[in-house]
Amino acid sequence: MDARAQLVMVFHLDKCLGCHTCSISCKNIWTDRRGAEYMWWNNVETKPGVGYPKKWEDQEIFKGGWVVDGNDLRLKALGKGPTLLNMFFQPNMPKLEDYYEPFDFDYGNLYGSREENDQPVAEAFSQISGRKIDVIRGGPNWDDDLSGSQLYASNDINLEQRGIVEDYGKMFMHWVPRICNHCLNPACVASCPSRAIYKRGEDGIVLVDQNVCKGWRFCTSACPYKKVYFNWDSGKAEKCIFCFPRTETGQCNACAHSCVGRIRYVGVLLYDAERVERALLRPDDQLVEAHRDVILDPGDPAVRDAARKNGVSDQWLDAAVQSPVYALVKEFGLALPLHPEFRTLPMAYYIPSLSPVLATLGDSHELMEHGVFPSVETLRAPLSFLASLLAGGNREVVAQVLGKLIALRAFLRAKNLHQPIDPEVLKKAGLDEAAALRIYRLFTIGGYDERNVIPAQQREEQDPHARSGESGFGILKKTGRGK
Amino acid sequence: MLNTFLFVVLPYAALALFAFVTPYRYFSNRLTWSAYSTQFLERKTLYWGSNSWHYGVIPVVVAHFFGIFAPDAMQSILANRQALILLESAGLGLGLFALFGCLVLIVRRLVTPFLGPVTTAGDWILLALLLFQTATGVYMGMFLRWGSQWYLHTAVPYFHSLLLFHPQAEYMSDVPMVFKLHAAGAFLIVALLPFTKLVHLLYVPFDFLKDPPILYRWRSPKAGG
Ligand code: HEM
Ligand code: SF4
Ligand code: SF4
Repeated sequence: MDARAQLVMVFHLDKCLGCHTCSISCKNIWTDRRGAEYMWWNNVETKPGVGYPKKWEDQEIFKGGWVVDGNDLRLKALGKGPTLLNMFFQPNMPKLEDYYEPFDFDYGNLYGSREENDQPVAEAFSQISGRKIDVIRGGPNWDDDLSGSQLYASNDINLEQRGIVEDYGKMFMHWVPRICNHCLNPACVASCPSRAIYKRGEDGIVLVDQNVCKGWRFCTSACPYKKVYFNWDSGKAEKCIFCFPRTETGQCNACAHSCVGRIRYVGVLLYDAERVERALLRPDDQLVEAHRDVILDPGDPAVRDAARKNGVSDQWLDAAVQSPVYALVKEFGLALPLHPEFRTLPMAYYIPSLSPVLATLGDSHELMEHGVFPSVETLRAPLSFLASLLAGGNREVVAQVLGKLIALRAFLRAKNLHQPIDPEVLKKAGLDEAAALRIYRLFTIGGYDERNVIPAQQREEQDPHARSGESGFGILKKTGRGK
Repeated sequence: MLNTFLFVVLPYAALALFAFVTPYRYFSNRLTWSAYSTQFLERKTLYWGSNSWHYGVIPVVVAHFFGIFAPDAMQSILANRQALILLESAGLGLGLFALFGCLVLIVRRLVTPFLGPVTTAGDWILLALLLFQTATGVYMGMFLRWGSQWYLHTAVPYFHSLLLFHPQAEYMSDVPMVFKLHAAGAFLIVALLPFTKLVHLLYVPFDFLKDPPILYRWRSPKAGG
């Protein structure tokens, strides 16, 4: 057993209100720079939708992630030899149009304009070429809240029936906030010929070393989540850094901290690095189970010993026990990985959304469960859709989770209304009363310290001098092209 | 006089700049060490420009170095007339390929508005110089036959004399003007290399070919491995 610690974020999709506060706080801190205007290390996309960059989930376009090849995993895009031959032009790299042309408005004109008959306006200009943009053709969240659904939502590759987004009686939507998943088997790391991208041993955060990156840009396409971005000014790759300067001091990430819906949970998972590769060789529909198998029980003494051998401190082990993430992902099995079939073993998990808690029009009345809620099969968000998004196509796994969420609601509804509680409701879903109350706390009234259990780095146990003077994104030195 | 400048002063100045500025740039600010790819902003013409340029120029550059560092081996290969003709035509073909690529790279920067803000004066000087270099190379390939032969008897011994710090510009005094310009251009490129994006060619990665796919870095040397 090779037990290691990983910082993980869980997203409760039912609670996300699509306000984009998370994206803004991330942008303000990290990507409000030249060359990074178009980057949203944290973005929130409407599902169904094509997402950001457009069609990122379609690996026939971008060739991201891993595929099983006999008894081995290999990068879908390029082997090592072909990597060398494609350095001059990278065939699968996403281009600016796949994101959008970043723009700003010329507010100065409002003050400085000559006196004329018409009011001055703040015209849009491109943040890249500086030229005026007459018609803005795309922007961050251009397809927010299903706008332009025939163009965007109906092209979501997870949809079985594309027409569903135009049918008022069946329509559904929810938001999916996305950051880098800080995967256990990161394709970005494997694809980098300069070996600039690495995974930190202590907390699993995946970083691009800006000093080593030479701008060969294979990572941008190899990441199946499109979470490595190319800075067009500095000529290097950048990505979400899991706010490590914050987590190292025990604070939670800026996106999670600012989250209005309080949908995010941050905590430690212990995993067995030796099991990773075998887990990923399993067929698509067993990958959720494979994820759960890789995660270790932090209460198990054997696990704790193994983790200590790898330098995991007692403080981290305690955090692993209290981890809301462990509870949601493994103990209660509520949170699922985003597109596990890309086989990077993503370490961000999503509690699927029930909402709208409505059945499709017409069959709502016959199929009520517990007297109030529609049954899982008739919820608006089709099982097949959620299964394609969060379970490698395995509907059963999703149905189990939704069953738990519905049972939880039924249980608490009865409790709050002082109605008799049928113990079978929870039992059938695989929960008990204690579990239900714990989950209820986490979902609702749990405070900051319950939702975020982040142990600080133990600098005194390590060598503080070894790393002094290291810099991040050109903080000490200037990036860019010069004149 | 001109010969002394072109073949003694210029080469040593160029080599000195290369030898001192390159490590300086590496150690002072590696954040500027990049190929500064523009593929993200424009990819349709880059495909033709970058591929033709690199696939053309890299073998030709390698052949030049082969001549300098293994003249005897090259001589014995070229002694075979068939091989000589084959190599000459391949060289010319690759040169034309590179020339085409270089022209595409230049035109694309002229006509694409997006590339304005990522084009520096250094880029223009570099591209102009490389165009000049490929054009003179191709000219010689076409009109001054058997260049690979007399390269071995003029430029190569001259390079050796340079490297031994006993420069003998005489080797280059009687060659055609275009050849002199081609040689001088090469030194200008070497001089410019540490100041421009050309540094990217010094850092071609091979280590990854043998590395395990996932790279870890541990903060503490005690833990993990
Ligand atoms: C040795 C292996 C080499 C590799 C891996 C390499 C790779 C690259 C890459 C990735 C780019 C950026 C292309 C883009 O915009 O996306 C580039 C540009 C360039 N390379 Fe190379 N290169 C190599 C050798 C050379 C050599 C030998 C030369 C010339 C003597 C050269 C000259 C250039 C020039 C001038 C550009 C800039 C083109 C432009 O931006 O307009 N490269 N190279
Ligand atoms: S999500 Fe993408 S960028 Fe992040 S670790 Fe995984 S493969 Fe790398
Ligand atoms: S801040 Fe929270 S609620 Fe708002 S969009 Fe982001 S994840 Fe959703």
